[in-house]
Amino acid sequence: MKLYQVALKEIIRRKIRVMYTSLGVIIGVTTIVAILTIALAGQIKINDELNKYGPNLMVTPAISDISMSLGGLSMGTLAVGENYIQDNVLPKVRQITDDLIRKGFKDRGIPFEDVGNIATIAPRLYTNADINGKKVIVVGIDPAEERKLRIWWNIAQGKYIEKEDEALLGTHAFGALKLNVGDTLLIGKKELTVIGVLEETASIDDYQIFIPLKTAQVAFGKEGSISTIDIRALCNACPVEDVARGINNEVAGVRAVAVKQIASAEMGMMEKTNNFLLVLAGITMIVGCLGVINTMMTSIHERVREIGIMKASGASQGQLIQVFLFEAIAIGVIGGIIGYIVGTIAAYIIGPLIFKGIVIRFVLEYLPISLVLAILASIFASIYPSFRASRIKIADAFRTL
Amino acid sequence: MILEAKNVSKIYGDGTAKVFALDNISLQVNEGDYIAVMGPSGSGKTTLLNVLGGLDRPTKGEIILDGMRIDNLNENALVNIRRGKIAYVFQEYHLIPSLTALENVMLPLIFSGSPDGTQKQRAIEMLGKVGLSRRANHKPTELSGGEQQRVSVARALVNNPTLILADEPTGNLDYNSGLEIQRLFDQLNEEGHTILMVTHDPEKASHAKRLILFKDGKIVEDKNQDDKK
Ligand SMILES: Nc1ncnc2c1ncn2[C@@H]1O[C@H](COP(=O)(O)OP(=O)(O)OP(=O)(O)O)[C@@H](O)[C@H]1O
Ligand SMILES: [Mg+2]
Repeated sequence: MKLYQVALKEIIRRKIRVMYTSLGVIIGVTTIVAILTIALAGQIKINDELNKYGPNLMVTPAISDISMSLGGLSMGTLAVGENYIQDNVLPKVRQITDDLIRKGFKDRGIPFEDVGNIATIAPRLYTNADINGKKVIVVGIDPAEERKLRIWWNIAQGKYIEKEDEALLGTHAFGALKLNVGDTLLIGKKELTVIGVLEETASIDDYQIFIPLKTAQVAFGKEGSISTIDIRALCNACPVEDVARGINNEVAGVRAVAVKQIASAEMGMMEKTNNFLLVLAGITMIVGCLGVINTMMTSIHERVREIGIMKASGASQGQLIQVFLFEAIAIGVIGGIIGYIVGTIAAYIIGPLIFKGIVIRFVLEYLPISLVLAILASIFASIYPSFRASRIKIADAFRTL
Repeated sequence: MILEAKNVSKIYGDGTAKVFALDNISLQVNEGDYIAVMGPSGSGKTTLLNVLGGLDRPTKGEIILDGMRIDNLNENALVNIRRGKIAYVFQEYHLIPSLTALENVMLPLIFSGSPDGTQKQRAIEMLGKVGLSRRANHKPTELSGGEQQRVSVARALVNNPTLILADEPTGNLDYNSGLEIQRLFDQLNEEGHTILMVTHDPEKASHAKRLILFKDGKIVEDKNQDDKK
């Protein structure tokens, strides 16, 4: 029989008391796990929200009388000028962007999946067209890239553009033109099929007609031309300013602008809030530890006889401390596991009250973290009590009864 | 001579509240001795056993065990004495409730770091010696007082101590159980163990070869009673 087995038998006998002692650790770990779980889900949620604010970079012709603003809100009045970007700059723009983002990730030590194309690069060609007697803006897009960029686009009717002769309509354009899905649409010299309608986006997109870029270029006789390029770098840590500078330096005839980083500002707020909450959780943990110290001192009082017996049977101070450390580890394991479970459940309950529509996921990685934290905390809390226990004199231990 | 107390005093409290639990005691215990200590309640018998056995420190004087002073030893050195030279039997048995009889007997061997196999073998042997082999896997709460005290005697014997100190080992037991424990001590002494035992019962004391009478922290009489044996 080993010393830890003796300790374990005593722990099992005193299981209610041991559970009670671990309460302090449970509360501390619960708070930390709940905060971390909610914060992580909140970050994902905020990230998703922020993606809707638009691209990270906008590339426009260097000399342009188009006043482009965020989300293209002034597009309604634009006189689509004669300034275009040549679409043969696209490979160069992609290369510069991907290289700089890759470098940005590496410099910041952020792990990433290098799948070749990193950034989403969506060229657009804006043209005015007369359709059924109404003036409409027709936008030539790269359907695949555009879809990745405008993740908030949902199809209300029909489906998304798959072929060269298909058109996707903004909801108000669709209403104004009095068309049905499947109808034929004459744009310039081209006949296209209305393949789908977007749900309302509450943006200029609702008034536009989207067709494949190539088709638009041919239809309006603007082969090789594009009006803008939207670039999304996929991550908030990405150095969009660097990318903008790189494009401006190396690609002639374009002007790249980093879209104001709402994202980083928001994330900064989130991080500050998280830090504040973690400090609170840390305080909870410390208070929990004080609770553990307190209950442990009481339990030493209750066990003064056992301590006396062990000493009289030849236990050294070190061995007694070991027995108490085993108990601390048991308390830590109980506190860590229960704290993790309760904290996760609390996150599921409280999370949606803080962030509407949040999706809480349990984070298994927090379990080992909780265990280590709980064990360290309870060992820390039992240092003084076990030291005191090991110093109890046998004669006193038996007399206090 | 295995144990000697030289001018030992144990004083509790100070000022007017001063209690001389032991008042300048000198005493020699020889190998094979079987000593009964008697005296009124509060006369200092438990204190004597504690001080002799290194469970408590004397205020004054020297305790010499096997030619070595132990009264001034530090805690670590005292641990070694408890792991072989001196063993204790208490009135309240003092068994660990979560451990079986066998495990309680093994306890001193666990602390002294004996290998698992030896621990068990030795503990079974000692339980056999006190006649409790069949109760080896019972918890203390499943044993009678007399049985619990026999477990505690087995535990005391497991490290083969030079000296056994017993403080009223039959004090909590009914007549028959007390008698069994008493016979156990008689047998152990016949086998060569040195025993110093506190008792309130003159009949039990009469089993011992030597009787020490105690009063107010002083030895008032120390006589051989071989004749009675
Ligand atoms: N820790 C202590 N602090 C103060 N006084 C003490 C302490 N321990 C013992 N005493 C006192 O020392 C004296 C001797 O006590 P001790 O326990 O040795 O007596 P005893 O002979 O064993 O009595 P009993 O037969 O009742 O067990 C008593 O007056 C007691 O009150
Ligand atoms: Mg006493």
